[in-house]
Amino acid sequence: MPAPEVAARVRESLANLKAKDLKDGQVMEVLALAQQLTDTMQLFFGSLDKSIHQEFVYIADYIARTRTEISKLRPNDIKEQRIPTAGAELEAVVTDTERATETIMLEAETLLGTRPDDVAAYKAQVDEAMMRIIEACSFQDLSGQRVSKVVESLRHVEKRVSRFAATMGVHDAEADEDEIAEADRKKKLHLNGPAIGGPEVKQDMVDEMIASDLDQNAIDALFD
Amino acid sequence: MAVEMTMPILVVDDYKTMVRIIRNLLTQIGFENVDEASDGTEAFEKMKKQKYGLVISDWNMEPMTGYELLQRVRADETTKSVPFIMVTAESKTENVIAAKKAGVNNYIVKPFNAGTLKAKMAAVIGDF
Repeated sequence: MPAPEVAARVRESLANLKAKDLKDGQVMEVLALAQQLTDTMQLFFGSLDKSIHQEFVYIADYIARTRTEISKLRPNDIKEQRIPTAGAELEAVVTDTERATETIMLEAETLLGTRPDDVAAYKAQVDEAMMRIIEACSFQDLSGQRVSKVVESLRHVEKRVSRFAATMGVHDAEADEDEIAEADRKKKLHLNGPAIGGPEVKQDMVDEMIASDLDQNAIDALFD
Repeated sequence: MAVEMTMPILVVDDYKTMVRIIRNLLTQIGFENVDEASDGTEAFEKMKKQKYGLVISDWNMEPMTGYELLQRVRADETTKSVPFIMVTAESKTENVIAAKKAGVNNYIVKPFNAGTLKAKMAAVIGDF
């Protein structure tokens, strides 16, 4: 039963008791107190009902907005199209690269193992090998196009996820235990991977470091 | 003392193509006795069974990295004196310092060429 209705009933009961013309002063005081209490409770529960109603309206709006934003994220498109296609493109790049590398290595190894006794025949063999190497290098054009498609898909996903996070006011949660453990392991073993744009420390710098005593002063000097 | 060109060299890399490239470069330099391992675990097992004149190892491999292999090699009485060259794309200062402290004899940053490999080998095992 809603709070206002309960309060109305209590008030009605109190009015009925008062109408019976009770003579006991203490009973009348109790009734007056109960009347005050009922009025106070009605105000309290009335405001509570209104507040809860507003909360539910807000939550309903939030859920509706979340659903709209998730649909704009197009998660099924990302899951069923974008990511699988990007994965397949990258696998194709790896396969094409391996095939080209195999061809180039094989041609180079064959030539390295050939004795140039007959110069004319050797020249013809080298020419043919060079042509096969040049043909094998054509994989780079396809790989470039495939990688561009993957980059485009990643940008597409990044754009949608960023928009979703910004609209919903999402903040990153803590990484889970496995991710933290993997990050710690990589840090401990210095697994940084290749640097973008070439080595961070060039070979001549490495040579200096290897040749140095590597005390702290020597290390500091490398960064001066 | 002259370098023995028949000495066994262990090349450790999880990419077969890189192993093949290094093997070809070593062959061109004149080293024919080249063995292979695809990660630190396999390499250390081989090193416990055979004495190598030189180890040329990548850094980033699973399950045992080249860095862990280096640490294990230097901690083991039977392998601690084997010359060890790291050939890796890990090119941060911290990597070089860590490798140096772990006892690496030389460090080559990928991509590299035959001249660099030959020069670093000569610096470690002597002219050949």
